[in-house]
Amino acid sequence: MKKLVSLILAAIMLLSVSGIAAAEAPLSAEITWWAFPTFGQKDGAPAGTYEQTLVEKFQQKYPGITVKLETIDFQSGPEKLTAAIEGGKAPDVLFDAPGRIVEYGKNGRLVALDDMFTDEFKADVGNEALLNACSDGTTYWMYPISSSPFFMAINKEAFEKADALQYVNLEGDRTWTTENFVKALEALHAAGLLGGSVYCGGQGGDQGTRALVSNLYGAKIANEEKNQYTIASEQGKQALTLIKELVDKGLLEAGTDIVAGDEIKLFAQEVLTMSFCWGTSAAKNNPTSFTQVFLPFPSDDGVPELEYLVNGFCVFDNGDENRAKAAKLFIDFLCNSEEVGKDNVLATGAFPVRQSYGNLYEGNADYELLAAFTAYYAPYYNTMDGFANMRVQWWTMLQAVLTGAKDVDTALADYTAESNKVF
Amino acid sequence: MSTLSRDDRLFARSRALQRQQTKVSYLFLLPALLFFFAFVIFPMGMGIYTSFFNYTMGSFDFIGFGNYAELMRDATFGRSVVNTLIIVVASVPLVGVFSLWVATLIYKMPVFSRSFYRGVFYLPVVMGSVPVVVVWKWVFNKYYGILNWLLKGLGVINTSINWLGDARYAIWCVLAILFTTSIGQPIVLYVASLGNVDHSQIEASEVDGASKWQTFLHVKWPSLLPTTLYVLVITTINSFQCFALIQLLTRGGPNGSTSTVMYYLYDTAFKLYRYGYANAMGVILAILIALFSALQFRIMRTDD
Repeated sequence: MKKLVSLILAAIMLLSVSGIAAAEAPLSAEITWWAFPTFGQKDGAPAGTYEQTLVEKFQQKYPGITVKLETIDFQSGPEKLTAAIEGGKAPDVLFDAPGRIVEYGKNGRLVALDDMFTDEFKADVGNEALLNACSDGTTYWMYPISSSPFFMAINKEAFEKADALQYVNLEGDRTWTTENFVKALEALHAAGLLGGSVYCGGQGGDQGTRALVSNLYGAKIANEEKNQYTIASEQGKQALTLIKELVDKGLLEAGTDIVAGDEIKLFAQEVLTMSFCWGTSAAKNNPTSFTQVFLPFPSDDGVPELEYLVNGFCVFDNGDENRAKAAKLFIDFLCNSEEVGKDNVLATGAFPVRQSYGNLYEGNADYELLAAFTAYYAPYYNTMDGFANMRVQWWTMLQAVLTGAKDVDTALADYTAESNKVF
Repeated sequence: MSTLSRDDRLFARSRALQRQQTKVSYLFLLPALLFFFAFVIFPMGMGIYTSFFNYTMGSFDFIGFGNYAELMRDATFGRSVVNTLIIVVASVPLVGVFSLWVATLIYKMPVFSRSFYRGVFYLPVVMGSVPVVVVWKWVFNKYYGILNWLLKGLGVINTSINWLGDARYAIWCVLAILFTTSIGQPIVLYVASLGNVDHSQIEASEVDGASKWQTFLHVKWPSLLPTTLYVLVITTINSFQCFALIQLLTRGGPNGSTSTVMYYLYDTAFKLYRYGYANAMGVILAILIALFSALQFRIMRTDD
C-alpha cells in the first residue's frame, strides 16, 4: 500500500514538474500586428516607425516570438480589416478602439481577454465605465492602455478680434452655456468670421457632432439600459432646431460635404474659428499659428457630458492557441511593461488607464485641464448593438436637417426608427 | 492491308492533327482559364449563392429571396438605382459623341500635335482616381476652391456655393469628373480607328462630290461601328460601376443624391457587415449592366 501511495505521489510530482517546465518553455510563434496611427511619431517620422521600435524591443525580450507589423490608416483601414477577417487573414493583434473591437467580439471573431483583467488591473483602473467600454457586458474583448476626452477648441485670437472671448469661460474647467455659445457665434458673424461647421459629409469623427447636439440641451444619445437610441427627445429636437436656425442665419456652417478630418484642417487653416472634433491627437498633429483654447461642449446648465476615446488592443481568433498566447504576451508587454508601458501612453497623447502610472503630464496646463474634463465623461454607448448602423443614420439625419430635405421631427423619427431596428 | 481509301486516311490524319492542335490550344489557355475561374467565375458564383443568405459577420442563414424582397422596399437602394441610371444615361452618349468629335479633329494633325492631345486627354486615366479627385475636390471647395473664386470674379455668383454639399449640384459635379476620366480611352481608340479607315474610299467619295458629313456618315462611320460599340459598352459598364469618385468625393450625400448602387453596396458590406444583402445588390447591378449591354449590341448590330 505504502509503495502504491509513494508511486502515486512520485507520479504527481513528476507531472507537476513537467507541467511547470511546459509553462516555462519559451513561446515560439509568428504574429501579425495591425496598428491604426494612434501612436504619435517622433520628429515627423513616417507612420509605423515608433511601432517598429516596440516590436524590436519585444522580440529582444522574447526571441521566440516574431511580430510582423502593418500600419493601417483610418480611411481604408476598416475596410481592409473587414476584408481580412472575412478572408481568414485577420491579424493577431489590432490596436484600435472599442466601437469596432467589441463588434468583432460580439460576432465571435476575437479571443476573450478576461484572463488579462486581473483583480489587480481592475483595481488599478478603478473606473467601472472605462472597464465596461472594453466588454460587451459578459466578456472583455479589448485591453485598454489610455483614454482621453473629446472636446472642442476655439481660435483665441479670432475670438478676441470679434470680441467673442467675453462669452467663453477661461477659468477652472471652462464649462460654458448654450446661451453664451450662441452669443459668441453672433459676435463672430458680426465680425465677418466663420464660427464652426456642423460636418456631416460622412461618419468620420461623428462623435463631435453628437456631443454638440446632445450637450446643447442635455439630450441623451442612448438610454441607461443601452437598448434604445434616444436622441429624438424634446431636448434633442430643441438642439437640432437651434443648430438649423444658426446655420440658416449663417452663424454655423452646414458641413454637408466635409468630415471631421476636413473640419480640423479648416480650423487649423483659420477658415473656421472653432472645431467640434478636437482632441489630444488632433492638437498634436495639427500645430497652429494661433492659440488653441480647449473647451468642453456648451450646455444649457453648464454641466457638459463628454464623449471619450479609449485606446486598446484585441486578439483575433485565428484558431491557433499558441499565436493567441503570444499575442496576449505582446499586449501585456506594450501596456504593462516597465520598458515601454508609460512611453506608450505618452505616445498616444492620452491619459493612462492605470492610476498607478500617476500624472505623466506634470506641469502641462492643457493636460491638467483635460484631466478636469474627465469628471464629465458621458455614459459610453459605442459598444451598444447597432452602433455601426446608428453612425450611418446619424450623419444622413444631420444632412437631411441642414439641407432642409426633412424637418427636424421627421428626420429624428426616421433616424430613431432605423437606428433602433436592431432592438 | 488497310480497307480505308486514301481520302479516308487523309481525313483521319487531318482530324488527329486538329485534335492535337485543339489540345495544345487548351493547354495554352489553361493558366488564363484557371485565373478566370478562380478570380471571376468562382467569386461571381459565390456572390449569387450568398445573396440568398442572411450573411453577416456573425451569421449565415438561408433566407431565400429575402434580401431581394428587402431591396424592393429599400428607399436608399431605389434612389441609388435612379442615380446610377442618371449617371449612365447622361454620361455614355456624351462621352461617345465628345470622344468621336475630338478624335475627328486630332487624327489628321501632325504626329506631335496628335500625340500631345492624346496625352492630355489620356492623362486623367493614367493618373488614377485618387489624385484626380483630390484636385477636383480642391476646385469645388466652398472656401478656397477655384470655381467659386472664378464665378465670383466674373460676377456670376455673389456667395460661395457648396458644390459637393448641395443636392442640386453634387450629382453634376460627379458627372463632370466622371466625364473627364472617361474620355481618354475612347479618344485614343477612335483616333486609331479613324486612321484605319480606307483612305481610297474617302478620296473616291470626295471625287464623287460627297460632302464632309456624307463622307463621314457613309464611309467613315460604318468602319467606326465596332469601336463605337466597344466604347459604349465599356463606358456603360464603368458608369454603372462608378464608385471611387463617390467614395472619395461625396460618400453618397447629401441626402443620398449621389449614392450609386456600387457605393451603397460597398457601404452595406463594409460598414454594416451585411454581405448577403450587398451581394444581392451586386446581382441586380450585374443584371442591369447585362440588359444595357445587350440593348447596345442590338442597336449597334451590323450585318456583318
